[in-house]
Amino acid sequence: MAVETVDTPVRDTVPTPARGERSLTGLWFALPFLVIYAVFMIWPILAGLWSSLFNTSLAGGDVEFLGLSNYAELARDGAVWDSLWNTIYFTLLSTPPLVLVGLVMALLAHRARRTGWLLRFSFFMPFLLPVTVVALIWLWIYQADFGLLNAAVQWFGGGRVAWINDERTAMWAVVICTLWWTVGFNFLLYLAALQGIPRELHESAAVDGASPRQRLWRITLPLLRRTTGLILVLQLIASLKIFDQVYLLNEGAAAPITRPLIQYVYEQGFTSYRIGYASAISYLLFLIIMLVAFAQFKIFPAGRDD
Amino acid sequence: MRTRLPLSLLGVAVAILWLIPLAWAIDTSIKPEGETTRVPVTWIPDVFTLDAYRDVFTASDVPLWLLNSLVVATGVTVLTLAAASLAAYGFSRLDFPGKNWLFALILAGIMVPPQALIVPLFHQMQSLGLIDTYWGIILPQLAAPVIVFILKKFFDGLPREYEQAAALDGASRLRMFWSVVLPMSRPVLAAVGVFTFVGAWNNFLWPFIVISDPDLMTVPVGLGTVQSSYGLRYAEVMASAVIGGLPLVVVYAFLQRHVIRGVGDAGLKG
Amino acid sequence: MNRRQVLLGAAAVMGAAACGAPSGNDRLRYWNLFGGGDGVRMVELIDAFAASRPDLDVKASTLTWGPPYYTKLSMAAAGGRAPDVAILHLARLSSFAPGRLLDPFPQELLTAAGITPDRFLPAIWDRCVVDGQVYAIPLDTHPFVMYYNTELCRRLGLIGAGGDLVPLRGADDLVAAWSEARKLTGGYGLVLDTFGVSPWRLWWTLYRQLDGDLLTEDATALVIDDAKALQALDFMRRLSVTDAVAPGQMLLSGAVALFGSGKAAFLFNGEWEVTTFQTQKTPFSMVPFPEVFPGTSTDGIARTQADCHTFVLPHQRGRTAEGSRAALDYVRFMLDRSVDWAEGGHVPAWLPATRSAEYLALDPQSRYRDAAATAQLDPPAWFSGSASNMETLAGSAFGAVQAGTLTPEAGLARFKADMQRLIDTPAPV
Repeated sequence: MAVETVDTPVRDTVPTPARGERSLTGLWFALPFLVIYAVFMIWPILAGLWSSLFNTSLAGGDVEFLGLSNYAELARDGAVWDSLWNTIYFTLLSTPPLVLVGLVMALLAHRARRTGWLLRFSFFMPFLLPVTVVALIWLWIYQADFGLLNAAVQWFGGGRVAWINDERTAMWAVVICTLWWTVGFNFLLYLAALQGIPRELHESAAVDGASPRQRLWRITLPLLRRTTGLILVLQLIASLKIFDQVYLLNEGAAAPITRPLIQYVYEQGFTSYRIGYASAISYLLFLIIMLVAFAQFKIFPAGRDD
Repeated sequence: MRTRLPLSLLGVAVAILWLIPLAWAIDTSIKPEGETTRVPVTWIPDVFTLDAYRDVFTASDVPLWLLNSLVVATGVTVLTLAAASLAAYGFSRLDFPGKNWLFALILAGIMVPPQALIVPLFHQMQSLGLIDTYWGIILPQLAAPVIVFILKKFFDGLPREYEQAAALDGASRLRMFWSVVLPMSRPVLAAVGVFTFVGAWNNFLWPFIVISDPDLMTVPVGLGTVQSSYGLRYAEVMASAVIGGLPLVVVYAFLQRHVIRGVGDAGLKG
Repeated sequence: MNRRQVLLGAAAVMGAAACGAPSGNDRLRYWNLFGGGDGVRMVELIDAFAASRPDLDVKASTLTWGPPYYTKLSMAAAGGRAPDVAILHLARLSSFAPGRLLDPFPQELLTAAGITPDRFLPAIWDRCVVDGQVYAIPLDTHPFVMYYNTELCRRLGLIGAGGDLVPLRGADDLVAAWSEARKLTGGYGLVLDTFGVSPWRLWWTLYRQLDGDLLTEDATALVIDDAKALQALDFMRRLSVTDAVAPGQMLLSGAVALFGSGKAAFLFNGEWEVTTFQTQKTPFSMVPFPEVFPGTSTDGIARTQADCHTFVLPHQRGRTAEGSRAALDYVRFMLDRSVDWAEGGHVPAWLPATRSAEYLALDPQSRYRDAAATAQLDPPAWFSGSASNMETLAGSAFGAVQAGTLTPEAGLARFKADMQRLIDTPAPV
């Protein structure tokens, strides 16, 4: 209910093609997409798996078959597991605020009458900014000497904090920036869900003497459970793929304290030219994300259909 | 009613808090460079100036990157809609050998994280000679199985009577698709188109990987890769950030309802 | 607008896209990484070159210094549409796959342009030649140096009769001077960056002053001398922890700001901030990095970590002789203006420039010129050189020693483990 394709009715039964029409016409229709899909999705998946068995280098040169030794190296490479942990740590820190703040925003905007436009604009607007713009703005806010955040901290009597470079705050800096940037999307999903709750439910509960607070806890929140589940899954998958904002914030940092797994893939593959090894690490990530996506289908079997 | 006022105040407070980062960026961009690093920070500049914007427009690549973003996002949107709607129509209305497993293959692709493919994809682009070309940015973004899925679902729900009537008039399948099905699909095409355009406009990772030539960079890549060679000039950096972020925000401010619906459909994307 | 118009418009945009790709020999695309004070000067020089060559469409791009720059340059060269000419640190040359990611300078063009080995220091020129081919043309050397605040040092009694800093050598004398300076400023005596690659630069300087070696010549084994390595690290710890004359955690930008505003009397850094401090009107001068561990100096100039900016031809699939000639014209133009370039701080590699009266008159830029002769580049390896994996890893391990979060022994153990992993990794070039 949260995610409707369009407001045109969707039939439950899929019409089957008329019999006797089985021909190659349909294949011609599908062909342009299938070719692109095969060349730019399926082929790289297979080619990546293949090159993970070699010492392929960005710089070219002779290629040597290594068998599984890239995978053996990966298992021993502490940086792989550190960056995987950073990815997971980011997911753990960012998911609760991304869900809760999105929910609160939706509740506020759903009630708002005259200020509705302002709320919808300001909550969702950051989501439309390119990630680089977001990172530039936050690097400037986090700037240790003349940044806005330290100005606020010092106004409250705190000391100077090197937000991006201090191991204690670096991940929080990424989380806050991400929250600002992407919470608008969750806000939107919750808002759509709230708008889908029939008004009569609230009205009859009010007639029965339920206070607004009771209605929130007994009616609204339980009805949002599915949306919350959907958001959690989307959030989990998106967090595992995190790269952009961390990389762009890290560029301003001296050491990659918050380096996520994709950044390590990037560094191994392109900075160190090790295409083969980076492909092997990619497959670790690939496996994890496919497992999560598969679990999603198990947990929310109808998640894509309502 | 008692709780209305405090809650709407809270709403406005959160909205203002959410606007502060952008407001601060704009504020910085209209200060002279000397004032940007003043301590303690000031919101109201002593001198108001648009110098930073003038410098960005005259002496940087930002206008070029905006053009590149427009070319790339338009190309991705038009070609994605074309390829995906044709394919969706084929899968929805026609039967052909291997159809079921081909569609299953496309469905499986929805789960594939493109981020995990950057290394093999770059390597492949190297052998195709597409590194540092517009096609190198555009083509991989067209492999978007989720859009075929959305469109097929929509076509499945459309009544078939109009096509049958057209068939009686001797229309070809392509004719039916073009003159009957597409016009009926305007809302979904618009929604998917908005989503695709926003996604392509803001896409960072792939264009960042495939493009090294500053002349071919899109806004997100250029802003993150190329420096003004004048040391740290914060007003200029913030002005280029504001210019880079502005186009979609302005469109959104005017078309809020439509954009929210369009991007909201992205909820279907895993 | 109807659908047909939209499609036609889109087709037009795509058509423009296809034709928009730059090509032809009338363009000279040049990449560099000069984002600091030296960048201002580079832009002036490029503008001058562009004005002198109206037949060429000169386009210079400055990319973010460090790994982002080198990663982009490699990727561009791997893709075959790289810029026509680019800046590369000399110590990075062996990691840049000469012959595959870099194209050689054609010998006949070099001769025609008058770029010959006798016009550079042999130690530097020799590293530019790989398998008998010239892959890099040196522009400058940039040693790690010591900046001092002339005003504060005068008050400390450290300025001699000639107006120069009195010679400071030996760990104890140096620390004593910085300690006095700290009392004067109330903040720090000495400032330095502890986060980036500067901890590596400092350690390599000290370790080379002790005559320590790091790698075998073919970079297949670690030959580090633990006693000397620890002696260097002990001194680094002494600065920020034991004697606390310097900060334990400081970004380069912060160190430059503190020195620039007179809140510290000394600064360790590369020599490229000259313009920054001149613009801020900081009363300052510079000397070669002091001799902390006397013993291996040449003519009184101690060994110092350094690297050289060179010009290279990144690999292009369709590189033409005209393209290479235009690139060489630009290189020669820059070499001829070495003195203008030196004003930004770097020591010219072009010997005719270093011997010119104009250069010798530059103050403080010519004061540390001799450090080029004792320059200690990173040991050649695919993982070494400016902004390399090795420098980043070393910066992090040694920075932790400066911060006091690791003991010198633990910092060294971490560095050695990191180095061993790099050595064990099969070389990708």
